[in-house]
Amino acid sequence: MATSEKNILNRMYLVAGGMFLFALFVAFKLCNIQLAEGDKYKELAEARTERMFTIPANRGNLYAGDGSLLATSVPKYDVRFDALAPKQADFEENIQGLAKGLSEQLGKPVAHYTEVLRKARVNKNRYLLLARNLGYSKYLAIKRLPLFNKGPYRGGIITEQRTVREHPLDKIAERTIGYDRLTEYGRYSEAGLEGAFGPYLRGKEGHRLKQRIAKGQWKPIGDDNIVEPQDGYDVISTIDVNIQDIAHHALLESLEKFEADHGCVVVMDTKSGEVKAISNLGRTEDGGYYEDRNYAVYESAEPGSTFKLMAMVAALEDRVVDTTDIIDTENGRVRFYNRTVYDSHWGGYGKISAARAFELSSNTAFAKMINEGYKDDPKRFLKRLYNMGLNDKLGLEIKGEGSPRFPYPGDANWYGTTLPWMAFGYGVSLTPLQTLTFYNAIANDGEMVKPRFIKEIKKWDVSIEKFEKEVINPAICSQTTIDKVQDMMKHVVERGTGNNIYSKNFSMAGKTGTCQTEYWKEEGKYIASFAGYFPAENPEYSCIVVIHKPNKKIGYYGGTVAGPVFRKIAQKIYSDTPVIDEVKLAEANPETVEQDFETYFEKAQNSEKTIPNVRGMSGMDAISLLENLGLQVEFKGNGKVKSQSLQAGQKISKNQKIILQLS
Amino acid sequence: MGITSRNNRGNFDWLLIVIFLALIGIGWVNIYSASIDPSGVSDFFDLNNLYTRQLLFIGLSLLIIIFILSLDAKFFERFASVIYVTSILSLLGLFIFGKNISGATSWYSFGSFGLQPSEFAKAATALALAKYLSDIQTDVKSFVHQLRAFVIIALPAICIVPQPDPGSALVYAAFFFPLYREGLSGIYLIIGSITIALFVLTLAFGPIYIIAGIVLIALFLLIKNRKKRFGKRYYYILPLVSIVFVLSVNYIFQNVFEQRHRDRFNVVLGKEVDMKSIGYNTYQSEIAIGNGGLTGKGFLKGTQTKGNFVPEQHTDYIFSTVGEEWGFLGSSLVIILFVGLMLRIIFLAERQKSQFSRIYGYSIAGILFIHFLVNIGMVTGVFPTVGIPLPFFSYGGSGLWGFTILLFIFVKLDSNRVNEW
Repeated sequence: MATSEKNILNRMYLVAGGMFLFALFVAFKLCNIQLAEGDKYKELAEARTERMFTIPANRGNLYAGDGSLLATSVPKYDVRFDALAPKQADFEENIQGLAKGLSEQLGKPVAHYTEVLRKARVNKNRYLLLARNLGYSKYLAIKRLPLFNKGPYRGGIITEQRTVREHPLDKIAERTIGYDRLTEYGRYSEAGLEGAFGPYLRGKEGHRLKQRIAKGQWKPIGDDNIVEPQDGYDVISTIDVNIQDIAHHALLESLEKFEADHGCVVVMDTKSGEVKAISNLGRTEDGGYYEDRNYAVYESAEPGSTFKLMAMVAALEDRVVDTTDIIDTENGRVRFYNRTVYDSHWGGYGKISAARAFELSSNTAFAKMINEGYKDDPKRFLKRLYNMGLNDKLGLEIKGEGSPRFPYPGDANWYGTTLPWMAFGYGVSLTPLQTLTFYNAIANDGEMVKPRFIKEIKKWDVSIEKFEKEVINPAICSQTTIDKVQDMMKHVVERGTGNNIYSKNFSMAGKTGTCQTEYWKEEGKYIASFAGYFPAENPEYSCIVVIHKPNKKIGYYGGTVAGPVFRKIAQKIYSDTPVIDEVKLAEANPETVEQDFETYFEKAQNSEKTIPNVRGMSGMDAISLLENLGLQVEFKGNGKVKSQSLQAGQKISKNQKIILQLS
Repeated sequence: MGITSRNNRGNFDWLLIVIFLALIGIGWVNIYSASIDPSGVSDFFDLNNLYTRQLLFIGLSLLIIIFILSLDAKFFERFASVIYVTSILSLLGLFIFGKNISGATSWYSFGSFGLQPSEFAKAATALALAKYLSDIQTDVKSFVHQLRAFVIIALPAICIVPQPDPGSALVYAAFFFPLYREGLSGIYLIIGSITIALFVLTLAFGPIYIIAGIVLIALFLLIKNRKKRFGKRYYYILPLVSIVFVLSVNYIFQNVFEQRHRDRFNVVLGKEVDMKSIGYNTYQSEIAIGNGGLTGKGFLKGTQTKGNFVPEQHTDYIFSTVGEEWGFLGSSLVIILFVGLMLRIIFLAERQKSQFSRIYGYSIAGILFIHFLVNIGMVTGVFPTVGIPLPFFSYGGSGLWGFTILLFIFVKLDSNRVNEW
């Protein structure tokens, strides 16, 4: 060979050196990974093998006042099929049974399922959807079907569970029940009671640290959860499902009849302020109605004539007018500056008393009355209204309450016409719930209570928090004023603008409201409303009905559009409430009866061996007493024992005869 | 056989055997750790456990060792051609009888066990090459002989590539070592290095910069050596060929390689950062190794190993288990053992009197080195992912037996060196 020895040696060293160099390089790389950057990799490793798992808390239920469910969380299941998981033999053996079972559970024909299952196997579909949103029992039934009972790996069943919030009342009060969803941004999107009491209902999620021990297998570390999940509390609302149902359907009927845009109705317990029903319905494109927004809470609008109550109370309180004052309605047209106030009755009502003006809802009378009473000091009027709490929000738990708005003298938009127009409810703005709160205060003899939606928060059976009635203002005005306006409101139904809803069977009091809305846009849009309470004496419930933009051709007056809703609710509640007739029992003198019994009892206890003295006892007692002692008793007459044949204290022998003389 | 067996006793290189046993033992411990059922319910002797099967393979390999050592040392030289032809036939037979396991038709199937002939073909090729080169008629410097040697090496590789198993085919590059040792012109080394360098550099930086670089270097050399009278044409030809090659790199990369190979290159070159799919294996493996730190997590305590994050951890990525559970110290020990084994083989090869034994020794040193280089390079993220096992470590009977045969033929040859004349 031509290669020299040295050359060969060099080549050997080159090869060996190359190997050695690579080994060094690997060692260097290991140094880098394990030592220099070791911490980084350790962190990465830990991050992937140990993970904090969230244990979701069970959301509490939302109940109606009577304990019926308004919203609850239920598990729903999707069932899918991994068509490749089962062995061929298993698949063939069970497909008929499975298809038959699926057909029974899910409704489609057996052939359909056979075909779908086979096709999935041919197409290697590993995620074939069979059914969505199954309840627990149906899910169980499907899990037990042939093939599926072999489990996910051999049977190919794939189930996915979700928790769904379910409303047993369906669409009724849906908006008020609301929702409380965690958005993808980690914030809560809330509405209604679910939203308002979300912090109570949600509970707190727990955490558990788990370690990955194999692919897809996580082993909990330690015995305890790092944080125990806390189930949400149950929230018991004030909603009465029966009243809610009535209110919902009465409102829906009226909205449909008058083709209105939207409307709301709220029923409130007069004494406590508990909201018994709240319904909000808006029209959809196709003419149907559903709970879209909580109008009663958020929609602050010009109240119209229902505001005459506030104006009247203020005027009476400030003594600028009295019920008997006569006001000239001047043919139903009165000019203030360059604008004219019209009465809805063409030609006016002539000269009428202030009380009658309320009953007839005369705009001209109210404009004149308030303008004359307060024009020198309009601030006094506003202050009176403010004093009654009208300018403040109610501070509801439900989000999105609309603000009341009142113009104030000195504001840029305060004109000479502002005050007279305010008298009949224009230029001011209140939400239906704010208006109702005022009416309720009148019904409640001046005590203004805050409308409440929640009675109690419970954890299982333990009360966590009870919500008592909240008084906003213990007396918004004097009792005299209250008595006067209560009378007037009663008369509205009896002989005023609300007399179309009058019933001789039950009494109601209230005020109609008919108010033009969006008059700056186009003519002929109205808000029809009715606010009041029932029964007129000793009111139990107050109620407001507001209906926006009814079809003018069908009707738009508060009395015709909103009034009947009010009446229907009042009538239903009235007829559902049993009349309690108390019948007093004819009373025997209880003391003497008692005394008699005691003597009898005493003797029965003590006279075991000797004849007792039964004189003066009633015959019945004496006979039973003596017979119990084993004596044969004969008696004459009736009444009390006058004498006995055997003297008291004698020893008793069996079947001895004793004769009693009764008187 | 009487003379040999008497003289052989105690002539085995015990250092090689000790290293071999150490590697097999450490390898098994790591396979045990990587494949033990976390629920701990399975029986140790259940043959469904990979570690139990590997133990069985180890036992069988000991029988193979005894068999090899009991053969006459001349057997291998005499029957090299027969062994080689049998091996080629067994590779070709795969096209007819082979069983497809995870995408590659590399196995003959016997019940639940498979045999991978490519693992045995290495030893056969090493024997055949040694036999051919040690022939007194063969001159490594002759181009025709070089070509023949190349055919011997390339034939099994060509049979293996379409299985497909390019990793195993790559191993045949190892035979460059004995050829080089026996006097193959260094120009091949230079050309090979330049080709690889140009390929990688072109992929990394794009052809324009590389061509510019070639032109600059060529001009510089031309000007520097303008007084030289001979070999000037190379200054034109070499750069031109290089430029043509550089221009064709993209074409080769896009058309000869498959997308997964391209992806692997791109990951190593840092062109693609995708730890989810393409670079996933290597990334997982690096995390596992990095998690080990200096002293490791301890036996059976590797969280990444237990969590089954590293794919193929009991086979190609077994070194990541070593890295995680035994740390830098354990990994270093394994590397020292490997390097010790290879250097010892080269040392022993050099002391062979028989050229056949020497060439064979260099062949197996080369084969072990390529395996070691590519596997460790892949596991530590230096090289693109090429699926080839770590000798004596990775799970699998064929691989273990292939390497055992490879090594112990050399042990036998070495033990016989004193009988050479």
